[in-house]
Amino acid sequence: MIQIRGLIKQYGLNPVLRGVDLHVPAGEFVTLVGPNGAGKSTLMRIVATLLKPTAGEVKIGGWLMPQNSGRVRRHIGLVSHQTLLYGDLTAAENLQFFAKLYRLDNSDDRVAEALKRVGLAARQRDAVRTFSRGMMQRLTLARATLHEPDVLLLDEPYTGLDQDASALLDDLLRRESAKGRTILMITHDLVHGLNLCDRVAILSRGKIAQEVASGEVTGAEFLDIYAAQTGRKAGMTKANG
Amino acid sequence: MDKVDTAVSAPSSSGNQFVTAVWAIVWKDLQIEKHTRQTVSLMVMFSLVTVVMFNFALETELDAARNVATGLLWATILLAGTLGLNRSLAIERENQNIDAVLIAPIDRRAVYLAKVISVTIFTLLLEVVLVFVFVIFFNKPFWQPVVLLVLFLGTIGYVAAGVLITSMTMQTRAREVLLPILLMPLVLPLILPAATAVGEMMTVQPDMSIIRSMVSLVAAYDLVILATGLFTYHLVVES
Repeated sequence: MIQIRGLIKQYGLNPVLRGVDLHVPAGEFVTLVGPNGAGKSTLMRIVATLLKPTAGEVKIGGWLMPQNSGRVRRHIGLVSHQTLLYGDLTAAENLQFFAKLYRLDNSDDRVAEALKRVGLAARQRDAVRTFSRGMMQRLTLARATLHEPDVLLLDEPYTGLDQDASALLDDLLRRESAKGRTILMITHDLVHGLNLCDRVAILSRGKIAQEVASGEVTGAEFLDIYAAQTGRKAGMTKANG
Repeated sequence: MDKVDTAVSAPSSSGNQFVTAVWAIVWKDLQIEKHTRQTVSLMVMFSLVTVVMFNFALETELDAARNVATGLLWATILLAGTLGLNRSLAIERENQNIDAVLIAPIDRRAVYLAKVISVTIFTLLLEVVLVFVFVIFFNKPFWQPVVLLVLFLGTIGYVAAGVLITSMTMQTRAREVLLPILLMPLVLPLILPAATAVGEMMTVQPDMSIIRSMVSLVAAYDLVILATGLFTYHLVVES
C-alpha cells in the first residue's frame, strides 16, 4: 500500500532524509522509531501529501506522489500529536465539518456512529476546548477515520496521554488495525510501539537502519537493537531525545 | 502494483465538489464566530476606539475632520481588517488545523476562496457599523449606494490580498508584524482609487466620470488579486 524508494528531502542544503526505502503492505501496522531529528515527522508529512520530496519515489495505493496527491487524499487519515481539531467548535461540529469536506453520504449517521465508537456521544455538544487531552485524541481518531481511509498515519499519537488514555487509544488502534487498515505510526515509546504493531522500522540519520518483526524480539532485545542502530541508549520504554 | 478503487480516480476538483468545499469552510468559520463572537466584536471595538480618538483629536477643526473622514474610514478598515485576517489565520494555526484541511480531497483553491469569503463577511459587518458611526460623527453621506459599492469592492480586494499574505506568513515567527508590512504596500493600488471615489462622492457635485474610472480600477484590482490568489495559493501552502 505504501512504497517508498530512495526518498530524499533537503531543507536548503540540509539533508533530512537521505534515501529512505520502506514498504508497508496493505493491512500491515508498521511503527517508525528513531531519535529526534532523524526525519520521522518529515517522512510522515511527505506520505500525508503535506510536503514534497526533493527526490525519490513515494507511492500510495500504486499512485505516484506528489503527482497524484489529490487522488490519494481520500484514502489517507492523519492523527498527529497536534489534535487538528477546532477548539471553539463542538465535537459533533468538528466531525460534521470534515464530513462535508469529504462529501460523505449520511453524514449525520456517520458522525453519530463515530462519536459512539470513541465514547464521546454524551459530549457531542460540548466545545472541544473543554475536553481532556485523552478525549481530544479519541476525537482526533474519529476525525481521521470518519471517511474510512485505507491508510492511517499516526504521528506520535500518545503525546500527552496518561496511562488510562493510552490504554484506550491502544484499544481503538487495535480495532482500526483489525479492520484491515494499513497503519504507519511514529512513536518515541519504543516497547509500546513494538507491542502494538506488526513490524518496527528504525530511522536513523535519514535512512531506515533496520526493520524488526514485532514477534521476533523481546522488548529488551529491541532496546539493544535500537541503541546499536542509533548510537543512543533508550530508557526502558522511551527513546531519548 | 497496488490497486486504488475507482472512487478516487475521478478528478477531485469538479465544480460541485469545489462549491461544497468552499461552503464547508465558510460554514465552519461562521460557526466558530457564532460561538466565540471574537472576530467581528474585536474589529468593531478597535474601529470605534480609533474613530473616537481621531474625532476628539480633530474636534476643534470640524471642517478638517470632515475632509479627512474618507481617509480615516479607509485607514480604520485597513487596520481593523488586519485584526480579522490575523484572527482568521489563528483559527487555522491553532492545533495545526490547516493540515487536516489540506489533506482532505479538495481543491486547495477552495480553501483560499472560502477564507476570502468568510473574512469579507466579517469585514462587511464591521463596515455596516462604521458607515453608521461615520454618518453620525462626520455628517457626511457615507450611506450612498456608490459609496457602499466602493466599500464592497474595496473590501474584496483587500481581503483577497490579505488572505494570500496571511497564508505566506503563517509559519513565520513575526507573522503579526509581517502582515501589515507586506500587505499595506500591496493594497496601495486598491486603496488610492477607492478613497478617491469615496472622497469624490462626498463633494457637493461629484464628478461621475472620475468615480466610474476609480471604481473600474478597484474592480480590476479585485480580479487580478483574486486570480493571483486562486492560481498561487497551492504553492503558498505547500512547504
